[in-house]
Amino acid sequence: MIVTELKLLRWADLFLNALIDPRALYRQIARREPKAFALSFVVPAAVAAFNILTLSLLGKETGFFYYKITYGWILVFLYEALIALLSAALMDMAAQFFGYRGNIRDFITLVNFSLFPKIFILPLVYIFRIFNFAPLFFYTFFSMALLVWSALIAIQAISEMQPAGLGRATLIYLFPLLLVGTVLFFMFILLVICGVGYLAG
Amino acid sequence: MDRNRKLLISILALLVLSAVIAIVDISMNMQQKRSAAISLRGPQFGPGVGIVRIEGPIQMAGAASPFGGMRGAESVIRRLDDLERNSDIMAVVVRINSPGGTVGASQEIYEKLWKLRKNKIHLVASMGEIAASGGYYVASACDYIVANHGTITGSIGVIAVSPNIRRLFEKIGIDMNVIKSGRYKDILSSFRDINPEERRMIQEIIDSSYRKFLKDVAKGRSMSESDIAPIADGRVLSGEAALRYKLVDQLGTFEDAIDKARQMAKLSEDAPVYEDAGSPFEQLMFGMKQVFGGGSVLERNIRGLEDEGAAMIEYRYRP
Repeated sequence: MIVTELKLLRWADLFLNALIDPRALYRQIARREPKAFALSFVVPAAVAAFNILTLSLLGKETGFFYYKITYGWILVFLYEALIALLSAALMDMAAQFFGYRGNIRDFITLVNFSLFPKIFILPLVYIFRIFNFAPLFFYTFFSMALLVWSALIAIQAISEMQPAGLGRATLIYLFPLLLVGTVLFFMFILLVICGVGYLAG
Repeated sequence: MDRNRKLLISILALLVLSAVIAIVDISMNMQQKRSAAISLRGPQFGPGVGIVRIEGPIQMAGAASPFGGMRGAESVIRRLDDLERNSDIMAVVVRINSPGGTVGASQEIYEKLWKLRKNKIHLVASMGEIAASGGYYVASACDYIVANHGTITGSIGVIAVSPNIRRLFEKIGIDMNVIKSGRYKDILSSFRDINPEERRMIQEIIDSSYRKFLKDVAKGRSMSESDIAPIADGRVLSGEAALRYKLVDQLGTFEDAIDKARQMAKLSEDAPVYEDAGSPFEQLMFGMKQVFGGGSVLERNIRGLEDEGAAMIEYRYRP
């Protein structure tokens, strides 16, 4: 059955829609043709692997890569997947706060597929690495650009999902960032207070 | 849609291809780096050499680290305990940079090292700038001692120092009120002269500690006490002189000591070295505390005076 599904290439539409038509991506996820939840975790796994390869390519001794690539890859994949799950959960919470219907499963699938553009970091940076033309700068630049692309995919898909205007969808998408940012800010303040207390003592 | 699907498959194929090329590229770079003998940081595992550092005056417990860690002889013993339990540790290099310290603390470290030695863990002492008195005492528990040419070592002996500030107090008109339960309770007090009987009692302790020092060094070095006695008069020796008197086995650096430990434990030349290091965060915070929170110069001097004022019987080189 899996082989037949693979041959049908319907799964390819999910990736294609993630890149060119995020609204169609959500519609396809909602139709469950094919079932996309499990497949969506391929994206963070691939992003993790490509990220490790890119960093290693830039000369960063990623340690894990040199010894056991699997360890590093699994760790980064778990990190990416955890972030996606947390973000999806918080987005779902924000959507319900705005009065929309909660749908955590579709949120997770969406967030996972929205990471897909990040996979292009490797070929993009590789070009600059070959010509040795500020590869580190372009790594940072493309990372940011792909992050924005990824955000745009998620926002459009959320807008289709709820349905909500792009403004509301942006707020739902940014909610986890705002929450985590606020928590980190207060943690930083507490750490500074503790640090100053310790140093003064 | 079929055309688009084919386009996507092509893109995915190109991505996989770029990943494969990247893996080959990185592997080749890695080979070049290895051949250029650039060490790669990463997790270390497998049989190797553990490092223990003994820095500064040896005393039972220094100030506790704010992260719950211990300092002083207790931390050294705990580190040795950890190494003893670790089945990957085949040899231990004890890096010593110390003028010695209290008798009890030095003896505790010696005994712990001796236990490891009996358990067939190869011990190599590496002396830094100074490994005198208690520093040498600890080193003598090791199977093999490596010293630098200019290391200050030796100083085999025991000392008790107590300042006598009675006359200063008389001059400025200060009297100390001392209420004690026995006539010797304030023995070695800084505020009165020591009487001959007290001197004899302290001398007995010093002699007993000295005999123990001599006996343990002889045991550790597999020499007779009579061979060591002629130079065990408190004199300090350079690393070179110590080699001549067979107090050390080899002149060399810390790296030489590690190599010797690998060789004794029959480990490969690149066997891992397990350093004695706290977490980077702890090191950073402790470093910052030293820079910013170490107190004023006066405060530090007062602390120093407090240390000096406390009379202790020590295996310590006091120039």
